[in-house]
Amino acid sequence: MRNRIALCALAIAAIMGVAGSATAKTSLIIATEGAYPPYNFVAADGSLQGFDVDMAKELCKKIDADCTIVKQDWDGMIPGLLAKKYDVIVASMGILPEREKKVDFTIPYYQAPTALIAAKSADVKVGADGYPDGDSLAGKKIGVQRASGYETYARKTWPKADIVIYDTPSSANLDLTNGRLDARFDDYILLKDGILKSDTAGDFAVVGKIYTETAMGSKGEGIAVRKGEAALRESLNKAILAMRADGTYKTINDKYFDIDLYGK
Amino acid sequence: MSMPSFLDLNGYGHLLVEGAMMTIVVALIAMFIALCLGMAAALAKLSSRIWLRRLGGSYTVIIRGIPELVLMMVVYYGGTVLLQDLLAWAGDDSRVDINAFFAGSLVVGFVYGAYATEIFRTAFLAVPQGQIEAARGCGMVPQQIFFRIRLPQAWRFALPGLGNLWLTLLKATSITSIIGLTELARQADLVKSATQRPFITFLIACLLYLAMTAVSDLALRRFAAKAAAGFQRQDG
Repeated sequence: MRNRIALCALAIAAIMGVAGSATAKTSLIIATEGAYPPYNFVAADGSLQGFDVDMAKELCKKIDADCTIVKQDWDGMIPGLLAKKYDVIVASMGILPEREKKVDFTIPYYQAPTALIAAKSADVKVGADGYPDGDSLAGKKIGVQRASGYETYARKTWPKADIVIYDTPSSANLDLTNGRLDARFDDYILLKDGILKSDTAGDFAVVGKIYTETAMGSKGEGIAVRKGEAALRESLNKAILAMRADGTYKTINDKYFDIDLYGK
Repeated sequence: MSMPSFLDLNGYGHLLVEGAMMTIVVALIAMFIALCLGMAAALAKLSSRIWLRRLGGSYTVIIRGIPELVLMMVVYYGGTVLLQDLLAWAGDDSRVDINAFFAGSLVVGFVYGAYATEIFRTAFLAVPQGQIEAARGCGMVPQQIFFRIRLPQAWRFALPGLGNLWLTLLKATSITSIIGLTELARQADLVKSATQRPFITFLIACLLYLAMTAVSDLALRRFAAKAAAGFQRQDG
């Protein structure tokens, strides 16, 4: 009976188009967001590109696996991994305690700077600790991406502010530039490229210090795998260290950034 | 093909056109499924057997009562997990991936089949009963009555409703964007994010939808004229 049901399910799956033939090399599906420039984005020709994508391709070479990179919306990222739609997430995912309960992370492959960029007209003040002052943010609209570490941090740190959530950082950036938001809280490099390099850059500025990963309560940006995939995680860890050692990390890093993002 | 720069959208413009192609393909497959299901369920509802009537009835009531978006997510996400759990329970740990294209077309077709059922039911009932009785009197079996007498004359009554259904279905394919299918609505959202130019992106997407519906309208008028051949034109 069990086998018959399995057979039926397999038949349905086969009709629906299951991918999967046994090959000697391991086959991995890697998910990235594709909406987080310059780490991962969709280029004009429709392909996924960016720091994360290049890292993923190089890591696959190092662990000798056949990889396919797929695009996945951010808020479905971890559920998709758990539902086995893909095996690895390389999408600038911060190693946060809540996430570590559900998935396993590799060592961090880079440290992301975070910043609050506000409209100058919003008049957000800097607190005594050098970070944006929670009281001056009271009632102000801060745009964050749904299900991101930034959303969690903003809600916790600035309860008096009005946190507005968006599906992608670009949508939030659009609302900042057209005046619907007072501030944006996200990765500093993403905001710098999106807001401070646009035509209306003069109307916006970073408020206070740049947050480090530790200040955000995160260990860095890691690669996520399902719990129980210890072998995969270890091979990815070794691959990251190998990339640091033989200079391939530096090549990819310098393609996108002026500074070394690895940290430490 | 060089386009004026404001239309080209930083090179992303072609993604919108590809999205439109995907929309048309999904819509055509879904429409085919909807027509088949609609005809079958309409016949079931008109049948003399009570279980068939009940089956057709529950299909239309349930499917017309659930939002398509919710049904799409249930089938795609729920279905994947269900199949995977079934396999895991039987001892197989492999991953199951429901193809988004098939899932999307199937769900849209399944949902709009419920609406098509009512259109076909009215159309079948509109064929004069006297003709059916005469056909039976001539000795025709039910299949012959259906294909020779009922269906050809029913098209005339079904087409206005089906035309409406097609136009709605064409735009309803945008719900497949929720499962990641790269049709026009999703591509438009992607291009908007990539180019940071929402107005022109969505304007072009709207124009593409309009082009599709305009062509459909012309085709539908041709079909309607053909189906009504020999009958006096009502009011155009």
